[in-house]
Amino acid sequence: MSTIPRQGKKALEPLRPEKATVVDVIRETHNIKSLRVVFDDEELMTSFTFQPGQVGQLGVMGAGESTFAIASPPSQREYIQFSVMKTGVVTTAIHELAVGDRVTVRAPMGNHFPVDRWQGKNVLVIGGGIGMAPLRSLFLHMMDHREEYGHLQLIYGARTPSDICYRDDCRDWKQCGDVDFITTIDTGNQDWEGRVGLVPAVLEEEEPSPENNIAVTCGPPVMIKFVLESLGKMGFRDEQIYTTLERRMKCGIGLCGRCNVGPRYVCTDGPVFSLKELGELPDEM
Amino acid sequence: MKFIASDRIDGLLERLGERGPVWAPREPEGAAGTVLFAPWRPGDAVELDRFTTLSAKKLVLPASEKLLSFSYSLTPEGEALDITGADQGRGDTVLFGARVCDARAFTVLDALLALPPGESYQDPGYRSRRRNLLVITLACTAGDAACFCSSWKEGTASTQGSDLMLYPAGEGYLARSVSPRGEELLALDIWEDSDLEPPELAVTDRVPFEALEAKLVGSLFSDLDFWRELTAKCVSCGYCTYTCPTCYCFDMYDEMSSSRDGERCRSWDACMFYLYTLETSGHNPRPTIAHRYRNRIGHKFSYYPANQGPVLCTGCGRCIRGCPVGLDIRDVLRAAGER
Repeated sequence: MSTIPRQGKKALEPLRPEKATVVDVIRETHNIKSLRVVFDDEELMTSFTFQPGQVGQLGVMGAGESTFAIASPPSQREYIQFSVMKTGVVTTAIHELAVGDRVTVRAPMGNHFPVDRWQGKNVLVIGGGIGMAPLRSLFLHMMDHREEYGHLQLIYGARTPSDICYRDDCRDWKQCGDVDFITTIDTGNQDWEGRVGLVPAVLEEEEPSPENNIAVTCGPPVMIKFVLESLGKMGFRDEQIYTTLERRMKCGIGLCGRCNVGPRYVCTDGPVFSLKELGELPDEM
Repeated sequence: MKFIASDRIDGLLERLGERGPVWAPREPEGAAGTVLFAPWRPGDAVELDRFTTLSAKKLVLPASEKLLSFSYSLTPEGEALDITGADQGRGDTVLFGARVCDARAFTVLDALLALPPGESYQDPGYRSRRRNLLVITLACTAGDAACFCSSWKEGTASTQGSDLMLYPAGEGYLARSVSPRGEELLALDIWEDSDLEPPELAVTDRVPFEALEAKLVGSLFSDLDFWRELTAKCVSCGYCTYTCPTCYCFDMYDEMSSSRDGERCRSWDACMFYLYTLETSGHNPRPTIAHRYRNRIGHKFSYYPANQGPVLCTGCGRCIRGCPVGLDIRDVLRAAGER
């Protein structure tokens, strides 16, 4: 299922990326763009599969490559989507890309949300800012397999209305009636019709029951910190809570050394960890 | 046992040179008294009495290497990108005069970088270089004040990672093969038969570290004050990581040779550097020297043994001999053990 095989001829070149081409660029916010890319190798594109939560290295030769969550769902076979916030050298190069430009991809990498183990459960997804990227893949995947899950709730927070990503998806989720979708912003304006308030506060107002529920959160570290506290207060146990970690990465295959938290490598053992698993790791966030 | 007289070592090196480039401990021109593993050519003097300042790891993990070449071009269909892998094919390289700690370091690295396919990701260059490396090791009859390889069970008697062992005896060296390739070398017509006895090998300092594997992810990890105190004099220069025979962490980066062509490279990196884990957001999970040194010791004596088996250290003492502020890893390990 991986294009970075651990066996066979190609396994000998795990650092060699696949060539891909940008087929769509979506400006999500003033500093976030979504890029849709397609492997140049048609056979590879056809056989490409992954699980929600997995990541990939998107790169521009000459600038380098960086690790991003795959933001499209596994059912999307036409392209692979990455959502990229412009912050450094590589992300700036990615933001300069246009349709038709050549990029490189190494994907999928890392572990994934254990969606198979969540069948029959309610799932509460809590995202903030660019942290929505892996959660978009997850949420769209669960919508694709709607009958396998119980109640689906998504709380998505951003700083201001103009910081909201995935506007088309948000509209769909609001209208579909089959999921409980809440958007909230830190600071409102007169045109904003959604909730106003920090994500943890909105979460506590909603007070979802921990009964048969899984909570998944991804976002800025400070949001995650308070969301985890709120979930704990509401009675969620550590094994019911999942998050994804971020670290500076280079190789993506557990060799270059820098993304470890104690003995675990975020690139190969993560990025998805349950709070229970995190509790067993040394505190090095 | 087979024997070679000291004054015939040059002849042996010449014969070894028929198999590929020979690296031996030498005092290269301009090295100001420093002994290094360096390419040997006929006529070069070999320095077998002193330890090398740098390890031999560059023979399997070069300080910098090209991973890929790439080239952009314009075609009628638009922009095209070509990517070519680096050529990993190479013949034998001979490392002559490694010490037990140097040779054992290769087997320690093998536990991560040369696992059988399927068990781990494959390191693109390490495997081929390692497979083609012939290691001729000189056993130590004397250590120095920084050596602590006797902390490991076999100590100076270990033959791990070597193809052929040399033991100082009389006016030369006794030889014993410890691999089929070493056996091939013993078949060369350069050896004499000898009834000399192998020498008494050195016994070096011993540092207990077995109990640290659990402590380093537990009580010692949360005790940041302990690490602060120990590393108060550390200047985070990275000398210990660059001279270490088992430090393997690397950086990857692109270098352009023109506006269209470039290379993706990797170079040794050092976990003691602030930039090593600095994230673009400005967040750094290991912001102080204490955090970084804790990770360095944790990786060597807990994480790596837990994940890969061996401890990521062979007691060579290089990080002790050259540390500009005299930070001695043995003091750290002993203090950690007593904590």
